[in-house]
Amino acid sequence: MVSSISFCDSKGKQLLSRKYRDDIPLTAIDNFATLLMKLEEESSVVPPCLTHNGIHYLFIQHNDLYIVALTTSLSTNASQVFTFLHKLVEVMSEYLKDVEEESIRDNFVIIYELLDEMMDYGIPQITETKMLKQYITQKSFKLVKAAKKKRNAARPPQALTNSVSWRPEGIKYKKNEAFLDIVESINMLMTQQGQVLRSEIIGEVKVRSRLSGMPDLKLGINDKGIFSKYLESTSSNSNSNDDNSNEVNSSKSSTPQPSTGQDEGSSRKTSNVELEDLKFHQCVRLSKFENEKIITFIPPDGNFELMSYRLTTPIKPLIWCDVNIHVHSKSRVEIHCRAKAQIKKKSIANNVEILIPVPDDADTPSFRYSHGSIKWVPEKNAILWKIRSFAGGKEYSMAAQLGLPSIDDNEKPKLKRPVQIKFQIPYFTTSGIQVRYLKVNEPKLQYKSYPWVRYITQSGDDYTIRLNG
Amino acid sequence: MPPLDKKIKKFLKDSVRIAPKISSKGELTELRTGLVSPYPQTRKDAIKKTIQQMTVGKDVSSLFPDVLKNIATNDVEQKKLVYLYVMNYAETHPELCILAVNTFVTDSEDPNPLIRCMAVRTMSMIRVDKILDYLETPLRRTLQDDNPYVRKTAVICVAKVFQLDKQLCLNLGVLTDLVSALEDPNPVVVANTIASLTEIYAMDSTVINLNDLIQSHVSKFLLALNECTEWARITILTVLSKYSAKDSIEAQDIIDRVTAHLQHVNPAVVLATVKVIIINLDLTKPQINDPVMKKLSSAMISIMSTPPEIQFIALKNIRIILEKYPELLTKETRIFFVKFNDPLYVKLEKIEILVRLVDASNIKQCTILLNELKEYTREFEPEFVSKAIQALSQLAIKYSKESFCNKVLDILLELLERQDTFKDDCCIAISNLLRHCPTSTQMVTQACGLLNTWVEPELILNRDEAKCNYVWLLGQYPDKFSSLEERILGFVENFRQEDPLTQTAVLATIVRLHTRLPGTILQTILELATKETIVIDIRDMAMMYWRCLSIPGGDELVQQLCNTAPPAIDNILDTFPPEILKKLIQELATISSITFRPQATNAKKYVRPETVVKGKKLDELKNIAKNEIVKNDEVLLDFGDDATEENNKNTTTLDDLDDLFNFGTVLPKESNSGTNLESDFNKLGINGGRQDTNTTSTSTTTQDLMDLF
Repeated sequence: MVSSISFCDSKGKQLLSRKYRDDIPLTAIDNFATLLMKLEEESSVVPPCLTHNGIHYLFIQHNDLYIVALTTSLSTNASQVFTFLHKLVEVMSEYLKDVEEESIRDNFVIIYELLDEMMDYGIPQITETKMLKQYITQKSFKLVKAAKKKRNAARPPQALTNSVSWRPEGIKYKKNEAFLDIVESINMLMTQQGQVLRSEIIGEVKVRSRLSGMPDLKLGINDKGIFSKYLESTSSNSNSNDDNSNEVNSSKSSTPQPSTGQDEGSSRKTSNVELEDLKFHQCVRLSKFENEKIITFIPPDGNFELMSYRLTTPIKPLIWCDVNIHVHSKSRVEIHCRAKAQIKKKSIANNVEILIPVPDDADTPSFRYSHGSIKWVPEKNAILWKIRSFAGGKEYSMAAQLGLPSIDDNEKPKLKRPVQIKFQIPYFTTSGIQVRYLKVNEPKLQYKSYPWVRYITQSGDDYTIRLNG
Repeated sequence: MPPLDKKIKKFLKDSVRIAPKISSKGELTELRTGLVSPYPQTRKDAIKKTIQQMTVGKDVSSLFPDVLKNIATNDVEQKKLVYLYVMNYAETHPELCILAVNTFVTDSEDPNPLIRCMAVRTMSMIRVDKILDYLETPLRRTLQDDNPYVRKTAVICVAKVFQLDKQLCLNLGVLTDLVSALEDPNPVVVANTIASLTEIYAMDSTVINLNDLIQSHVSKFLLALNECTEWARITILTVLSKYSAKDSIEAQDIIDRVTAHLQHVNPAVVLATVKVIIINLDLTKPQINDPVMKKLSSAMISIMSTPPEIQFIALKNIRIILEKYPELLTKETRIFFVKFNDPLYVKLEKIEILVRLVDASNIKQCTILLNELKEYTREFEPEFVSKAIQALSQLAIKYSKESFCNKVLDILLELLERQDTFKDDCCIAISNLLRHCPTSTQMVTQACGLLNTWVEPELILNRDEAKCNYVWLLGQYPDKFSSLEERILGFVENFRQEDPLTQTAVLATIVRLHTRLPGTILQTILELATKETIVIDIRDMAMMYWRCLSIPGGDELVQQLCNTAPPAIDNILDTFPPEILKKLIQELATISSITFRPQATNAKKYVRPETVVKGKKLDELKNIAKNEIVKNDEVLLDFGDDATEENNKNTTTLDDLDDLFNFGTVLPKESNSGTNLESDFNKLGINGGRQDTNTTSTSTTTQDLMDLF
């Protein structure tokens, strides 16, 4: 279990700490900076868990901060500690907006309060911001001895230790609404020739709940093709991935076929689609889902992520770029890029950004292009091509030329970094997932409610084209 | 209703803030003035400032009496701050703490549960005996509190008190209350109780029988599991993983009850669930296509989309789990392909998993991985590239076909031609490949052809391992190298600076090739190895050779000894010895599962010296405080050294063995070859005076095994 938690600046010097147990000397954290520095000098592999003198330092980085948990026991649950540290940052950012050195220094009172409430004796306790905000508030409260002004005194909400620990009672809205956002992020790794090396869809169902009382919600999704496959026994599925890898391997054509979302979705139901893993917010009754395959829950108030899923079915690139880079050493580098939106004609990809790496020492760029805007981003050693709106089936191209210094250091400039692409496609999910219904039932209030659903597909954090070395 | 002007007056008084003055008397005096100010808001500001000073590490303990004056307040925030201060500095002012006791006790009866909690939580953190004396009533009361929020805090306080003063805790008899709290109707209280009991058990395993308690409450835990916070679930799941099911039916039942938690969004809950299932699988012995295996795979994969630190733990854990259940995840290699923005430590672990995961009977998968690894060798982070090179040779040897090894060799040779930086790694990898396919003349010619172009290999190569492999190649394929004598001479000249592995290799190679080399080299090396090295094993080895060579017919004997064909290696992946693996499985998700060092079963029990500060004079106290810190340091130091040193020793010998023979599975093979060697020796009739040293210590045997090269 955790002995203390410290916030340190970018050099590892302590800003604030909270001690939970007595088994470490106060000076232990001072070693952290030196440890870190020594390690960084030796190699660039810096694992998030360091050990010195029998004390383990588990840390994460956030903005310009290190958040370090110290413990002496090898039997400390490391995954719990890291999850807690991330959660801590998440909660703090809801209180402080930006969690960074400056805001830590300015808000130590509230941070001490949070640390006190979120962890006791090194054991994580309460991390639901919605609940914490009920009794840890920025403003100070006066305690009044008599119970007269009871409402003012900060008290832990009753619900805190109930089985529904994420929702206080007595929430009221004039208009009862629930907003569902289905966001699918596509991660894809392609070769310059258009072969897809890896692709996955990471889906999230985000909910913004503005509902009164204690509503019980039931979510229906076109589960024919999705959930049933996941829940069926594995015998039929076990081969599927092998097949998939074959498919990917054989699709070596340099111009991948355009794919239309809806077709994809419907064909998926018959082909071997598999939702790799479903993850639910803690409000979802897991055993109910396990046994009856129904998603039911009492939502927290406000925004939260209801569920996430992942699909590793092979998909064709939605935005494809044919990039050609010619490096004429000692003089210049030439870049040709042809971008294509391989989505339905009706769909539009918004905010498309294509980041193409250029050599570190390149300069004096010149561009030729028909659409969007291009600029050179020297701090990233890349050029950025932005296209605000990119209709399905369209194809745009650009050419760029940058100068290289004439001094030759014998080595060909290397372009190890991949081309990165970002985009958003509204009203469309790649997997074909659809919400059938969202039933809201509040047994006491029996109000009318309005569910809203939005779909969006976007690039994940790893939608890249690997350039030939 | 007080008259309006009075109200206004009060409001003004409450909100007056005196601007801090620049005083010549220093900061502390200024704070002191603030703390005793008649205006509440000013006092509060001063408290905040005091805490701020404390936060940045300044000693503000001298303000203790003045801060304490502010403890009896109705302002929750201010109360929290004063409590925080008291907790930090109580030890330096034990006499004054008594003044706070009254407030603590009163607060523990406050109608507001938040205050009750705060009071008992703070009291149990203060290491002063006077406070602890007064703790009994509040602690008992809060343990029976109506509000579960208070109870969940109180049960943890028992562990805190136990840590501070075990005897007191036993005298109070609160442990009985704690055990009965396991029956609490509220699941969160149950979870905290079990966490508290686990802590107490870790400190002293004689006071409670944790295992019995777990056994008798399993059904209670399983029920509570579905109804509590995510953190409480982790606690309960961790306890469940300590439970040993009676039979396969019960084990299956537990698995069924927890499986749903594989879909929890909190990755720590998922890992804790994985652990419970893995441990119970021992009894149920499922088939490979059991749905639970499928679910386990997908749960572990799901952690690959969490923050990198958690991925790191998951990857380390997957490595452990894969050794027990190698069939898990085999279809999922692609998930572990490296993303370009992964942190380096994740990238390295992913490669480790990839080579273990790949199905050696699936050519397609192996080829895909081969291409992927080839791609990695073009990256720019040196650690990453050298791991990829290592992985390439591991993959080739795992897949085992000669044509495949040839492909890998081509990649390595191409890499060497392109870049200068990875000669060490490539040299090791190439030697491994050649040891795997000793009969392939084509590969030998290709590899040695390139190695032959290196001028002054003793300077080009840096790592001991790489040099030793290079020298071994010289001895193994002497015809493939030009100017053999010159190359060997280079190593001989550097002999003194070399590390033991290379020294051994140089010695063995020269003895092996002594008929081809001028006699002076042999003479030199034997003298160097007997006189100039500090490693006893090398000296002994040299002595042995020397004797063999000097007896009549010795040449033949040495030839016989040197030309024994080394066994072909068929796996160069490290594995855990079975008993270590067993322990690691028990310790999944913990820090020891990242370091791969299971806790020693008879490790030092958590010992704490008497830490409660008795009411004494101030000077004495200061000394005590100082000594405390020193003592603490020492205890920790000792502990760290013991544990790590021992482990280090083990691992280094293992590593050494590994490097030498490039065996993956060290233990069985070592003993085999060890005995072979002995019998060889016996046959050869040279078990003279040296034999004792040869066979008694493992490390000597290790070195002697080099003779086989």
